[in-house]
Amino acid sequence: MSEAETENDGEVRVFAQYARDFEEEADVVVVGSGPAGSVMTYELARAGHRVILVEEGPPFTPSEFRADGNISMARTLREGGLRSTTGTFMPILQAICLGGGSLVNSAMCVRPPNFIFDEWSTRFDLERTTRADLDPHFDAVSDFLGIAPTPDDVQGPRNLLFRDGCDALGIESESVARNVRGCRGSGECLTGCRSRAKQSMDISYIPEAIKLGARVLTSLQVQQVLGEEPKVRGVAGKVVEPFSGRTSHSFKIHARWVVLAAGCMATPILLQKSGDLANASGQVGRNLQFHPGAAVAGVFPEELNPVFGATQGYQSLAFLREGFKLETMWSAPAALAVRVPGLGADLVRRFGELPRTAIWDAIASTHRSLGTVKPRFRSMNPVIRWQLDPEDLKVMLRSIHVLAQIFFAAGAEKILPGVHGLPQEIHSIEEAEVLREPEVSPGSLVTASSHIFCTTRMHGDPAKGVVDETGACHGFDNLYIADTGIFPRCPSVNPMFTVMALAHRQAQALGERI
Amino acid sequence: MSVWLLLIGLGLLGFWRAWAGYPADDKPRAVLARRETAFVRAAAEVLFPPSEELPLSGAQADLPGYADGYLADLPARQRGLVRALFALFEHATLIWPGPGLGGFKRFSSLSPEQRLAVLRAWEGSRSSLRRMCLTALKAVLILGYVGHPESLAALGLAPWKIDSPKVGADFLYPPIGQGPDAILHTGRVETGGGAPLIPRVDQESA
Repeated sequence: MSEAETENDGEVRVFAQYARDFEEEADVVVVGSGPAGSVMTYELARAGHRVILVEEGPPFTPSEFRADGNISMARTLREGGLRSTTGTFMPILQAICLGGGSLVNSAMCVRPPNFIFDEWSTRFDLERTTRADLDPHFDAVSDFLGIAPTPDDVQGPRNLLFRDGCDALGIESESVARNVRGCRGSGECLTGCRSRAKQSMDISYIPEAIKLGARVLTSLQVQQVLGEEPKVRGVAGKVVEPFSGRTSHSFKIHARWVVLAAGCMATPILLQKSGDLANASGQVGRNLQFHPGAAVAGVFPEELNPVFGATQGYQSLAFLREGFKLETMWSAPAALAVRVPGLGADLVRRFGELPRTAIWDAIASTHRSLGTVKPRFRSMNPVIRWQLDPEDLKVMLRSIHVLAQIFFAAGAEKILPGVHGLPQEIHSIEEAEVLREPEVSPGSLVTASSHIFCTTRMHGDPAKGVVDETGACHGFDNLYIADTGIFPRCPSVNPMFTVMALAHRQAQALGERI
Repeated sequence: MSVWLLLIGLGLLGFWRAWAGYPADDKPRAVLARRETAFVRAAAEVLFPPSEELPLSGAQADLPGYADGYLADLPARQRGLVRALFALFEHATLIWPGPGLGGFKRFSSLSPEQRLAVLRAWEGSRSSLRRMCLTALKAVLILGYVGHPESLAALGLAPWKIDSPKVGADFLYPPIGQGPDAILHTGRVETGGGAPLIPRVDQESA
């Protein structure tokens, strides 16, 4: 084997292999191995470029997945799964592992409808970001990952009851398209797919990129982008131990092109820590938006065998224009039990109802609720300030009321709405009227979010956004951003598919420039 | 002089309240101090009383052991936050006492009825911050209690037995904390993305 061929060999490097400070060189360094970073890495490697993909977390294999929700989150999520917003309190779930969120999400791949992109296009001067522009890129990602609707035989009762309830009310619903191959409906997407059916990035795009010569360096925390406007030279940081977060050796990666795909929190912090890079517009770390999720539990008369079935197999996009999307969900049963109200004997009695319980949730497009991201003192972790706007709260409450209607239409004997100040249990559609415009505060809802957007938003006008339509930072020759931070608004649907399609387009644009 | 005596007295009282009088732990713990073990045990006992639904009560489910393992897995800052949460509930009875005589005692020293009443006050509080703290405490303990193998088996919610199939990526990644030499698998397999990957050992022999 010649030296040149050896240099072109892909590889994975892990924490145990870093014995000293080191430097590397590449055409492109991609920071972050989530869906966007992985697509970029693969596509650029496929185009023949020397790519280094840097990831802060470790690679996981099935023996390292933990079914226990606490332990799983402590190992796979940033800040041990305890990251949250201030202002309106909301837990934030962000992965730290090879493959990013794709390792611990439920594989939902949803193309936003035309009107979402029309809004992006017209409000943010993004002429070439219509659904028609992006469809070829959605198709390419779909073909690679085998994205397809969830078949009925792995839906399980808790998903199909949602369909039945929607049908009874005349609400449009659909089977969720997912990036899985051979799913058996074990419902373990959120703690890592032991069946290896979910095509998370670590078992799909990344291995293929390695075959094409990409080098994947894990357990490296990028702390600085090297260079200044208009040209960057690479990235630098520290080796970081899995789970403990302890840092040790230093590294530098020199690259002609830098792609930041570190996520909606880490990317703006990296820019801020690098001398407020790419922030001529003042928009880095601003415009933060979420899809806050609120879940409703419904108890049915019959056992549902809820551990069987796709984690999130059914959804309804019928209310997107009103500002929310409805979907089924499942997780580690004990994690879902946290949703059960009460204390003592009441609480334990309700645990006994878990085998008859389905959990459905709504994610809201809270466009009015904006926040900021700044680095915590002497840390790469963020301080996240965010406030739920009262008008967005109304949207969320409306979504809970609709979920209640669907539950009762599907035959539920009671629901647990999970809103403080309202009854813990509601037994009929008539009783559910208390959910219609109740007088409650944002703190009355138990919400969480793993969909985070807009902290380095795309905008055609360099004075109003951080990147252009290709993801290139305004004012820079060779700095790109590829994660959900570039979304100009929250997309109203699960963002993974969209960010991969955008990354596919970005990789083409960048590849043409290299 | 009297001010100093008062401060010393308050200091001694604070020390006694926070540290003294906790029973020795029955097991060595990685993280949990004996005062935290006592708190977790006391909270678990009233949160999850014996019932027909589940075979174990909170007192039987070794939740101190579970909490200890969870804390050991958390990063240092978050470990501190969870420990602070335990301390908050243990000592917040100074501000929000339990009902009846001795309601100001540490949470773990209250009677079961008083402890449940204290938790109910947190649950029904007008302050969303207090309710959130209770939700966080419940989350830690419920995940240990309902997630106990005997609880899950009784509910019919035990995880599937799955023999994970080997995919190409399994030949790329060693177990966390180990180097590439720990990749033991051999054989050619299909990867999800398309063409088969050649396992590392085959690449080397080739």
